[in-house]
Amino acid sequence: MAKKRREHDEEATARTGLTRRGFLSHVGAGAVSVAVVKPATAAPAPPPQAMAAAELSKVSLDINGRERQVLVEPRWTLSHVLREELGLTGTKVGCERGECGACTVLIDGVPRYACLTLAVEVEGAAIVTVEGLMNGEALGPTQQAFLEEDAFQCGYCTSGQIMAVEGLVQGNPNPSLEEVRHGVSGNLCRCGAYAHIFAAARKAAELRRGTGGES
Amino acid sequence: MLPQFDYVRAQSLEEAQRQLSVEDARICAGGSDLLGCLRDEVFNCSKVVSISSLSQLRGVVRSRDGGIRIGALTPIAEVAADPTVQETYPGLSQAASEVASPQLRNQGTMGGNICQKPRCWYYRGEFHCLRKGGTTCYAMAGENQYHCILGGYRCYIVHPSDTAPALLALGATVHIAGPGGSRTVPLEDFHVTPRTDAQRETVLESNEVVTELTLPQPAAGLRSSYRKVKARGSWDFALAGVALALAFDGDRVTGGRVVLSGAAPVPWRSREAENAISGRRIDTTTAREAAEAAMEGAAALKRNGYKIPLFKGLIQEQLLAIASA
Amino acid sequence: MNDPKEALYHVHGVDVPETPVAPPTDQEPWGETRVVGKPLPRVDGYERVSGTAVYPADLSLPRMLYGAILRCPHPHAVVTSVDSSEAEQMAGVQAVITGFTPDDRATRQHSELIRNNLFNTRCRYEGEAVAAVAAENPYLAQDALRAIKVEYDVLPFVADERRALEPDAPQVHEAGNQVSDTQTYERGDVEQGFREANVVLEQEYRCECEIHTPMEPHGCVASWDGESLTIWESTQGVYNVQTQVAAALGIPLSRVRVVGHYMGGGFGAKLQAGKYTFLAALLAKQTARPVKLTLTREETYLAVGNRPPSNMRLKAGVKNDGTLTALEFSGTGTGGAARAGGTSLLDWLIRELYVCPNVRTETTDIYINAGPARPFRAPGHPQCAWALEQMMDALAVAVDMDPVQLRIKNVPTVSQARNGIPYTTTGFHQCLEEGARAFAWEQTRNEISREGRDSHVRRGVGVAGGAWAAGGGGPPSTAIVKIYSDGSINLNMGASDIGTGTKTVMAMVVAEELDVAPDVVQIEHADTGTTQYATGSGGSKTVPTESPAVRAAAIDAKEQLIELAASEMEVDASAITLSDGKVIADGDTPRELNISALRSLRRRGNVTGIGYRGPNPSGKAVTPFAAQFCEVEVNIRTGEVNVVRFLGAHDSGRVMNLLTYRNQVFGGITMGIGYGMTEQRVLDVDQTGKMVNKNWHDYKLPTALDVPADMTCIPIDLHDTEANTTGAKGIGEPATIPTAPAVANAVYHATGVRVTSTPIDPTKLIQALTEAREGE
Repeated sequence: MAKKRREHDEEATARTGLTRRGFLSHVGAGAVSVAVVKPATAAPAPPPQAMAAAELSKVSLDINGRERQVLVEPRWTLSHVLREELGLTGTKVGCERGECGACTVLIDGVPRYACLTLAVEVEGAAIVTVEGLMNGEALGPTQQAFLEEDAFQCGYCTSGQIMAVEGLVQGNPNPSLEEVRHGVSGNLCRCGAYAHIFAAARKAAELRRGTGGES
Repeated sequence: MLPQFDYVRAQSLEEAQRQLSVEDARICAGGSDLLGCLRDEVFNCSKVVSISSLSQLRGVVRSRDGGIRIGALTPIAEVAADPTVQETYPGLSQAASEVASPQLRNQGTMGGNICQKPRCWYYRGEFHCLRKGGTTCYAMAGENQYHCILGGYRCYIVHPSDTAPALLALGATVHIAGPGGSRTVPLEDFHVTPRTDAQRETVLESNEVVTELTLPQPAAGLRSSYRKVKARGSWDFALAGVALALAFDGDRVTGGRVVLSGAAPVPWRSREAENAISGRRIDTTTAREAAEAAMEGAAALKRNGYKIPLFKGLIQEQLLAIASA
Repeated sequence: MNDPKEALYHVHGVDVPETPVAPPTDQEPWGETRVVGKPLPRVDGYERVSGTAVYPADLSLPRMLYGAILRCPHPHAVVTSVDSSEAEQMAGVQAVITGFTPDDRATRQHSELIRNNLFNTRCRYEGEAVAAVAAENPYLAQDALRAIKVEYDVLPFVADERRALEPDAPQVHEAGNQVSDTQTYERGDVEQGFREANVVLEQEYRCECEIHTPMEPHGCVASWDGESLTIWESTQGVYNVQTQVAAALGIPLSRVRVVGHYMGGGFGAKLQAGKYTFLAALLAKQTARPVKLTLTREETYLAVGNRPPSNMRLKAGVKNDGTLTALEFSGTGTGGAARAGGTSLLDWLIRELYVCPNVRTETTDIYINAGPARPFRAPGHPQCAWALEQMMDALAVAVDMDPVQLRIKNVPTVSQARNGIPYTTTGFHQCLEEGARAFAWEQTRNEISREGRDSHVRRGVGVAGGAWAAGGGGPPSTAIVKIYSDGSINLNMGASDIGTGTKTVMAMVVAEELDVAPDVVQIEHADTGTTQYATGSGGSKTVPTESPAVRAAAIDAKEQLIELAASEMEVDASAITLSDGKVIADGDTPRELNISALRSLRRRGNVTGIGYRGPNPSGKAVTPFAAQFCEVEVNIRTGEVNVVRFLGAHDSGRVMNLLTYRNQVFGGITMGIGYGMTEQRVLDVDQTGKMVNKNWHDYKLPTALDVPADMTCIPIDLHDTEANTTGAKGIGEPATIPTAPAVANAVYHATGVRVTSTPIDPTKLIQALTEAREGE
């Protein structure tokens, strides 16, 4: 079924002609730089999905490496589905409007706000929540760094901060202080633990690199 | 909590256009602005038409004419980090880096960024304002500290985009797919002033889709920059911003554009500032003259008078900086 | 108002019960400590970083419904009708209650409450509750709210306290807009003081309204088991919530259990139950199902507290040698539409912080049509510091003294606001002196003056001081420490850990006394059903209140254990010590025994030690002090201020845990930066009276890029042996008091321009700089 749909996709895009004329032909024609059109992870998403407002439809989400089938309304956000439908309450909600960062999760490796993301929109994407950083009962390096540096107070923004730092250090094994400050600038902490969060982010990078020493 | 809507994920542009022909259907690319508007019930939405599957609209490539093409679905973060953009169009890279927060730059798209709805707190709040079909612009007599000083007419929003001023300075063109085929619009003509129509922000029809943005090859000696002043360190819109794209011959300005953000309901090209520096060497005198010229037509509301000295200071700073770059 | 604790953290309608008088204690103050004071990670850190800590907003119970509240969109209106018929018919909607719920269906006991208290038909502020629903999921609950039709008679409003006492101002309450008579305080002869001064300055100051906005919105889960109610509440004080819920619902305290294990920040806004708590309980009762009710972010801006805006005028006299001769202060403020402490402690620092024989103050609390205030991290103090500490800075300039030296010159040794009783300790002098040294205050000032003013980016440094009226804590508090037969330990206390590290500090206290590692101590806390009584965690009083009780309980348990061991090992109790889970009997041949090997303990099951918080020293004031220093860079073309570094030097008694202590100091500075530089409630005062920035985009909290990476904490650890048996004083609140004026003073130093109203952002500063330039 999936395969068939994919063929249908090809057809559909071919009909518009835009893909090929717009981008790929230029790449093929020896363009100066290589296109950064997103590869593999953006494998053709499942088929034109039409979902009626008040109805529940089945979506399949890849959460922390496991496929989860969930019935959702179109308007349900990823944060709602994670917390209230799947019980993954490590992801917190502080504003539901993309203004605090408590709901930060990794989507295809980059930090995003789960409260501003429709669950139906992330079918096919790899979603990682704070629970997904655990290795069994053991904390992941970023979590461990937050614990050691006391990089939180009330702890409610902490999952989001951890995911922002995780996204940062996955892409940048040795971030500078300025890169760290920018990296967590989309996560509010009302308790004001920023100074310790900066230290934790540097330590997280260290722990990931395996040096583990004091900074 | 979002109100109800139907949802469809389009697999082709044509399908997207067809779906968008339904009344109150709304296009969803990154979704960050749309979901905010829906949550605040800024407008009705019967159906969300997602174009996120159209991966052919994503990416930055150099075009044969020496410019670049930016797919409308390219996340803002990718533009900020793109080496070609950083090297050739630093003003755009700087602008993209200044947008909102890291998470929103990962989610928000370039097409979405230039099509943003205004951030006026009356427009976003529970106020039936002129832009939403009411009769009053509440900002005129209200809390207008973040509103416009140029180009206001019955409505006093500022355009919220950071990338649009940089793109406009660099001479971008918007590519649009519609039911009747494709069309291109210079970015300069893409945004709509309230004098033309106070209820729309762009020339886009409801069933049209922005597909890409193109930038021409930079003129010889072109330097570009973007800087914005915010009320807090990150995650904030411009109190005042300046995008520059100026061509230099030696230390003399031979051409280019000066575009202001946070000043007007649209990204505001200041021909007055451009004229003041054109053909001249930028020094403290010309910089001051350009800043004064840019603010000549400015009219403050009750609480945003600070913007005039702020823009003057910022324009001077940026002109002097780019001249010595 | 002579006891500031009364004014602050006494929650209306909640009596503070007496606990048994603490028996006379022979507890010696600690000398060097083994565990206490160390920078240890938190005992509940794993739960907080793994995502497994369950906050009330995370809780899910079988068959649980989701509640939501409809709120009045007008600042002043009368509800004339509520039509909820459509909402009631909607699929998935299980209950709707309003002030107009018909009598035939409102047969329950709660109907009177709903009519008279919960849903007051006269709404005096935007955000007053009008109706509530419970539905199968939160989206449906919101849909139901949209379907409720309310008709309002919209009334004239007043949303600016500066206009509310004008004769034609709309009346918030029938008796007028002034809450009560103007409060006055006077000592000495102010006129005479001004005559003695060489310099007299007078200035007006304003602080904008600040909103707490903890990361976890207010909320709870309510569940009934027969006639017994359990509430999991995001709260700073489970007993406060229990008392208010029992009173509101007319049920015995014994039938209300409130649990508050984890909570996502409060800052004073969660010291009490909310209408939402009662509504959740009522909805749960009506549906016979558990109900979770979490406020939206917007609701938290409107309805659950704020720091009142303040308008202040301060006149000060000083001699050329820096001696203060007189202070005259008047202030107005507003707690919104309720009697909510709009000017609580607004003049406290004027009375208290510096030696001054002649002081006169007056404060006037005013009603406006806006959400009620609640205590907010050091009520009144940051406002008063904003005025007083900028004035001290201006006086220093006027008499050509270093601002640090002027302050040191006037450091008090007695509490002038409390009729001159001495402090147990005062480290204010050291805060200023050692802080300045660590900051390189003089060198930096010299450097800056050598740099001159050529660049458009100007550096400046600023200092400000502070003291906190209520940081000594006090009774009541009861704690229980149990030592089980296997040597493991349980601490039972009622206090909430609101993120300050209370659990960790208390585990360290137990560990110190029983010579074990802190993580051996299992803690039961913040549960009215199972733990001991504690007052709410607020006022920076939790550690000084609870730690002596916990220490006493640990000592009691230890003594009992030693008795058991002594008789079993047949030695005198004085020969026995505890070490790392072992009992060691001193003697010619020292013997040791694992606690788990004590037969008598196994028979008994455990020893239970009880500790009470003893009284504070009589005739003494227990007061934390602070001095903070900062350096800024100001872009004089744009009015942008970059805070480059901050240093907090604090006398908060004994440092209980250096890591969490530092975190408190940096957190206080961060919040103070928000107060001084980014935050303000904006009401549409000229048109609708509505709040236009009730979200985190338009109401700007400081981000990671607004705080300096370079933050330093200098503890002035004076080992206060009189304050209480652990020597701790509060740190949370003092840490945010001097921050904003320190920034303002640094901006002045950099630019020569004084910004006297918060927040100092480019919109204000560029205007001030422009006016100053035009004046030149």
